[in-house]
Amino acid sequence: MNHRPFEDWLIDDQPLTSEQKRELQSHLRLCTSCSAIAESNLALHTAHMVSPLPGFTDRFKTRLAHRRSDQRWRQIVGTLVLVLGGLGLLYWLAGPIIQEALNSPAEWITTAISYFLFVLTSLQALGEAGAILLRVVPNFVTLTGLFIILTMVSGIGFLFIISIWRINRVPQGV
Amino acid sequence: MNEEMAWVIQAQQGNDEAFTNLVEAYQKHVYNLCYRMLGEPESAEDAAQETFLRAFQHLHRYDRKRPFATWLLSIAAHYCIDRLRRRKFSTASIDQDEDEGGFELPDADAPNPETEVVHTEQREQMQYLLKRLDSVDRAAIIMRYWNDCSEVEIAEALNLTVSAVKSRLHRARRALAGLWQAETPRPKPERRPNESPAF
Repeated sequence: MNHRPFEDWLIDDQPLTSEQKRELQSHLRLCTSCSAIAESNLALHTAHMVSPLPGFTDRFKTRLAHRRSDQRWRQIVGTLVLVLGGLGLLYWLAGPIIQEALNSPAEWITTAISYFLFVLTSLQALGEAGAILLRVVPNFVTLTGLFIILTMVSGIGFLFIISIWRINRVPQGV
Repeated sequence: MNEEMAWVIQAQQGNDEAFTNLVEAYQKHVYNLCYRMLGEPESAEDAAQETFLRAFQHLHRYDRKRPFATWLLSIAAHYCIDRLRRRKFSTASIDQDEDEGGFELPDADAPNPETEVVHTEQREQMQYLLKRLDSVDRAAIIMRYWNDCSEVEIAEALNLTVSAVKSRLHRARRALAGLWQAETPRPKPERRPNESPAF
């Protein structure tokens, strides 16, 4: 038996003309397969909404209060663990240095000054190297080359910004 | 601005009472979706409560251009789909549990109790058949027929394209009809005296 187009009419809930309705009725009298579709159609269209038990909103409020209290506790415990862990780590890492500094302050001050001088001289050296490069590079790289390099750098920067934007985009639905 | 949007804005600004109004307004829709998805009143209650909690926690993410109901149903549908996927991997016997679901009673005030009983049987049968569908197809069917969502809204809620929703709905309807035919006992038409065997 040919079920077309009756199956599609029923499955897709297509609006029918009175002529089509008559054709469908006469087909349904003969065809069990399409009758099943029509019956399941009827069951779907007469389906009613199931309601929750009374007091749903009150139960929600209670649950929300519990969830908030849990979150507060978790935050307190988390902060405590983080602070205590941080302090422990700091003590473990800086303990010997502090101990040493307290035992011989002169040596500690000398070390700090020499470290500071080292950083300062390194920065100066880097600055001088940069200045030399800026003087020398234009002799080797043409204006076109410089343009290409600058374009590539800005392209990479643009890609980076787009990637960060896409990652941070707020999704809908949770 | 309608009342619902006013509640949403107030809730986004931290007004709990406004969110409670939203819970009051949408509890039936969300609970029904969860019940039809999961098939058990207890699980449905839990899922519906969790849906509202998640909505409350992520209310700042809600895009006011979209209908609030669709956003809420999207959270509920995704939660139920995840739960059904987790169930698949659990060792407990699900079938036995699921068969205990369905608690709808015929409406005593209905004008014709017999018709009402037939309709109730059909609804229970439909609930039983829904469980046999794929979880995403099931969500699409429930949103379409129980929540009157358009195909566009279903697509937004389930993160699908509109054509994928159309094809899923068509496939699910066909599957439901097939299952309906296979599962529903059909009385054979009795031949009346002096009637031709051809009829």
